[in-house]
Amino acid sequence: MTQHSRDLSRRRLLFGGAALSAGVVLAGCTSNETAPTAAQTKAAAAGGNADPGKKVTIGFSAPAADHGWIAAITNNAKAQAGAYSDVEFKSVEAGADAAAQRAALSTLISQKPDVIVLLPYDGKELNAFGLEAMKAGIPVVNLDRAFPDARAYRLQIKGDNYGMGVAAATYIVAQLKAKGVSNPVIGEIPGIDSLELTQERSKGFADTLAANGLKVANRRPAEFTADSGQQAATGLLQALPKIDALWNHDDDQGIGVLAAVNQANRKEFFMVGGAGSKKAMEDIQADNTVLKATVTYSPSMASSAISLARLIGQGKGMSDLVELQVPKEIVLASETITKENAGDYLKLGF
Amino acid sequence: MTASDAASAPTPPDPTTMSEEVAVTKAPLVEAPADTVAGEVVLRLTDVVKTFPGVRALDGVQLEVRAGEVHCLLGQNGAGKSTLIKVLSGVHRPDSGDVYWRGEPATFANPQAAMRAGIATIYQELDLVEDLSVAENAFLGHEPRRLGFVRRGQMARRTRQILGRLGHPEIPPGRMVRALPAAGKQIVSMARALSHEARLIIMDEPSAVLAHDEVGNLFRIIRELTAQGIAVIYISHRLEEIREIGDRVTVLKDGRTTAANLPARETPTRDLVSRMTGRSIEYVFPDRPAAEPDGAELLRVDGLTRAGEFADVSLTVRAGEIVGIAGLVGSGRSELLETIFGARRAQAGTVRMGGRALRPGSVGAAVRAGMGMAPEERKSQALLLGEPIYRNVTLATFGRYARLGFTDTGRERAEADRIADSLELRPRDVRRPVRTLSGGNQQKVVVGRWLLGDTRLLLLDEPTRGVDVGARAELYQVIRALAARGVGVLLVSSEVPEVLGLADRVLVMREGRVVREAPAGELDENTVLDLVMAGSLMEGAPA
Amino acid sequence: MSEMTPTATSARADLPAPSPPVDPAETAAKADAARRLSWWRGDGGEGVRRNLGLIGVLVVLIVIGILTRPDLYGDSNWVWDNILTILKLASVVGVVTVGMTFVIIGGGIDLSVGAIVALAGVWATTVATQSYGAGGMVFAALTVGLAVGLVNGVLISYGRLVPFIATLAVLVAARGLAAEISDKQTQVSSNTFINGIASNKLLGIPLLVYILAAVVAAGWVLLNRTTFGRRTVAVGGNPEAARLAGINVRRHTLLLYALSGLCCGIAAIMLTAQANSAQAAMANLYELDAIAAAIIGGTLLSGGRGTIIGSLLGVIIFSTITNLFAINGLSTEAQNMVKGGIIVAAVLVQQVQFRSLTQFLGRNRATTT
Repeated sequence: MTQHSRDLSRRRLLFGGAALSAGVVLAGCTSNETAPTAAQTKAAAAGGNADPGKKVTIGFSAPAADHGWIAAITNNAKAQAGAYSDVEFKSVEAGADAAAQRAALSTLISQKPDVIVLLPYDGKELNAFGLEAMKAGIPVVNLDRAFPDARAYRLQIKGDNYGMGVAAATYIVAQLKAKGVSNPVIGEIPGIDSLELTQERSKGFADTLAANGLKVANRRPAEFTADSGQQAATGLLQALPKIDALWNHDDDQGIGVLAAVNQANRKEFFMVGGAGSKKAMEDIQADNTVLKATVTYSPSMASSAISLARLIGQGKGMSDLVELQVPKEIVLASETITKENAGDYLKLGF
Repeated sequence: MTASDAASAPTPPDPTTMSEEVAVTKAPLVEAPADTVAGEVVLRLTDVVKTFPGVRALDGVQLEVRAGEVHCLLGQNGAGKSTLIKVLSGVHRPDSGDVYWRGEPATFANPQAAMRAGIATIYQELDLVEDLSVAENAFLGHEPRRLGFVRRGQMARRTRQILGRLGHPEIPPGRMVRALPAAGKQIVSMARALSHEARLIIMDEPSAVLAHDEVGNLFRIIRELTAQGIAVIYISHRLEEIREIGDRVTVLKDGRTTAANLPARETPTRDLVSRMTGRSIEYVFPDRPAAEPDGAELLRVDGLTRAGEFADVSLTVRAGEIVGIAGLVGSGRSELLETIFGARRAQAGTVRMGGRALRPGSVGAAVRAGMGMAPEERKSQALLLGEPIYRNVTLATFGRYARLGFTDTGRERAEADRIADSLELRPRDVRRPVRTLSGGNQQKVVVGRWLLGDTRLLLLDEPTRGVDVGARAELYQVIRALAARGVGVLLVSSEVPEVLGLADRVLVMREGRVVREAPAGELDENTVLDLVMAGSLMEGAPA
Repeated sequence: MSEMTPTATSARADLPAPSPPVDPAETAAKADAARRLSWWRGDGGEGVRRNLGLIGVLVVLIVIGILTRPDLYGDSNWVWDNILTILKLASVVGVVTVGMTFVIIGGGIDLSVGAIVALAGVWATTVATQSYGAGGMVFAALTVGLAVGLVNGVLISYGRLVPFIATLAVLVAARGLAAEISDKQTQVSSNTFINGIASNKLLGIPLLVYILAAVVAAGWVLLNRTTFGRRTVAVGGNPEAARLAGINVRRHTLLLYALSGLCCGIAAIMLTAQANSAQAAMANLYELDAIAAAIIGGTLLSGGRGTIIGSLLGVIIFSTITNLFAINGLSTEAQNMVKGGIIVAAVLVQQVQFRSLTQFLGRNRATTT
């Protein structure tokens, strides 16, 4: 072997080694040590409805997760089902849109579940499916996105978007009053503005502020992502050189909002979050950011939906209620989490 | 030059010079012998111009078609035949010039309007709906109807009638077109034309899709149509067909009529071909060196083959030698050049430069070995029209002037300036965009590009196409001067005198094969023309 | 980098040169003078004029801002801060747009840039990557960006896929992979160095703005002063001419997409720093922002023409519009309509120029041949 070619081959080896190690390092970098979150499941307590009963097969479908909240819904449902020895959990991927979800649901029907728990892409578009399943004698539990037709579901359990806005505004009004701020400047960072849920939240917020003679000075919508939250917040902070209170609809995008606040070096206001992520609760508890409270829209509703679906399948009612059957509609209250109670809620954070 | 001269002179006027061109286009159309054309003039075009962005597709077309005649349209690819058909059939509207249809000025806003006026076109790719029946296709768009319902019975009956007129009563009107052979589909297309009561039927290479014996049937139908007073514009590359079926011939070149109303049977083949390929005034070619070039062998091509393009081509070029390749479009000459240059990959055979075989299909390898090429289509294959002249000149060499990947535009401009001086480029400012140059000066830029590198062999494909007279002579000087400095030149041209005048040695290509090789001095124009045109175009032609 | 063998000196020998031989010293002097001239003047008069037009648009937007919010613009501290805010807002898309501009000038399109930013950002913020520290995160982001860019390039130049299709497929796949790696969660970056890129300043100017300036400067030099840039223009302007001039068109196309991917990797670090986190849905529709900015900056979608400065101005115009709407509290819907209007106007202007150009050419041909 000549000197030249030896040099060449060694260089190739070095380069190859570098490329190889880069690949190994990168591959290693994909691992995420995410701890399994069993916090939001309800332990099967002894006695009453928790006793194992008739075997129930629960079919489940929710949109593909593009956001922490949806991911938490699916995880919670699965975990809650796992807590019962008498529940068989059958989940189908909903695919990319309402049509795909409809197709996935038809395969679910063929597996003859006792109850179906469903978070539809769009309540209107999947209303017909609800009717069909109910007619076939399979009770449907609608999660969060309502069917317009009351015959299309046996139980509807959902969060309260309007109530979220109300809760956020109520907290902000109380705080401002306590501080004695006159003519406060209030900012708002909603999620995707074209969604009905965003509009309901903003309406609840604006209505409650108006009842107290206040209004939103500026609102910059984000897209439920941290980077869009950061950009929206940067714009808002630039537009409002002085702010008294800020409501950010979503704690996921709130990571970016908080980043923008830090980058702009702003401290003069307090901020209320939305949804109730674990990180937000930790921040509130630590009390070292402008984030002082968050109003919940908890994905724990998925756990409750599984529990109630089991009861429906077994023909039981809720043990604390007089009625012998599970009620038809449950709307979760939007709760306000502050430093004082954050510890209690931490296990519900996603 | 008079019109009758234009019809019989062996050398047509140069279409690239203004004065000559006026002479032919303004002259009255040649009267054809009375026995071949009896009918009234149904269609007359004068000075029709049609431009598209960047190209003048029709640049002064004259055409006269009489009832009951078969008028043949001849021209090379790109001569403007297709555009002309589209103007006549209402697809395009002319920018200027007059179209008279049955004595009235006419423009057809759309194909339907042309159809209604009685002009039907049968395209090469038959525009039939394969999944409709014969009758439905024949009456597509103008079905007989009552109260919005198609009268299927009447439609079938009339289709049967028309098919009978075409001599094909055996085709069932209800048959799906998909199920018919090519010849049958063509008859359906003609049935459609007749269903419109067409007075002029344009046939774009109708024989191309037919087998040999089916062509005879086609001709029988055409004769029946013309006997009924219908005029036919017939487009074909096959001269023997034109001789057999045609009455008069109009020749197009570069979007212009170069000859009109030549008698189809009597006009010598060479006249037709020279009008198609065009040929200009006598150029002054630089003198050949007294001694035959005896430089070392530079290029050796052995058995080069690409299916459908050229086969088993072998040739050599010596240093300082100009080798010319004569041949018509479609003879495989441009493809051969591109394959030698590595722009196409040979299926068989080798290309050697200075004894070393080149990697096939690699332009980079060819350039590194010292080859340069000025391709046939300057604008689409060689130039960055929006970029400055100097960047076009240094397109193949800017890497050499660069240091550590940084270009040296100062050096590039200085080198481009030298080239511009030596080639007498006009305008002289090398920072101007190349699109502002005339064709001849653009060609100088392309040739100049290869003068900068260490090019030892220059491949020139139609170097004088679209180049005006003065610039041509200059280009000839440049090419000869290059050879004098030891550069080998391989030159392709469809203009035989150019090849004979410039080259030291000539190869004649026909249908993808080299049919003759000889020193230029041993060949004359007639010999080469005969060789070039032998075969398909020559068959059946009176010599 | 060079395709040519370094034998430039032998060039002169082959010239036909009927004119007397050129004095080499004179040539060198000329070259020197021309070089000095060209360094500051550049070659594109047309591009300069277009960029002046864009600066005009920018001035109009700022004047509207001053007229609508005189209270804010009255405070010089706020104005300075606002300029920096606009530049920061432009920084991430700006870096992506530099890569995009190269791809478009080279005759392609890259729809996958937003997805590459997301994948690189997610990859750089996994628990495992973060354990390597800031260096590991930067390495991961750049390597992932480069690698996905190379995938684009291989699919297009050697797989012969249409750029639109290839990068669309990579868009979908990269977002999918990002979602898979992140388990659809928002990954918080706890690295203070990385997060500091967005919050720290040097001499009163945010680091993000320095990064943007560096990438733009590098892009400008690469496009206007290197063989790489020259090849980009040639490959995009007339690929056949480039090929027949001995340029390796396929390899260059590959490099263009790799460059775009690398820019996305840089942008991923910047965006992660800004948001203190990364997730699969981040950098949503950045491809459209980048393409739009390049187009209004005068880059021809068919390739062969474009300027880095124009693209930068395009990005800054967009972020100024966003800022203008934010400080006036106007809805983002109206803002998007205005952006759409500006894109249409820019393309119309280009078409008018093109049409008059072809008319000019047509006339020219008619009179000279």
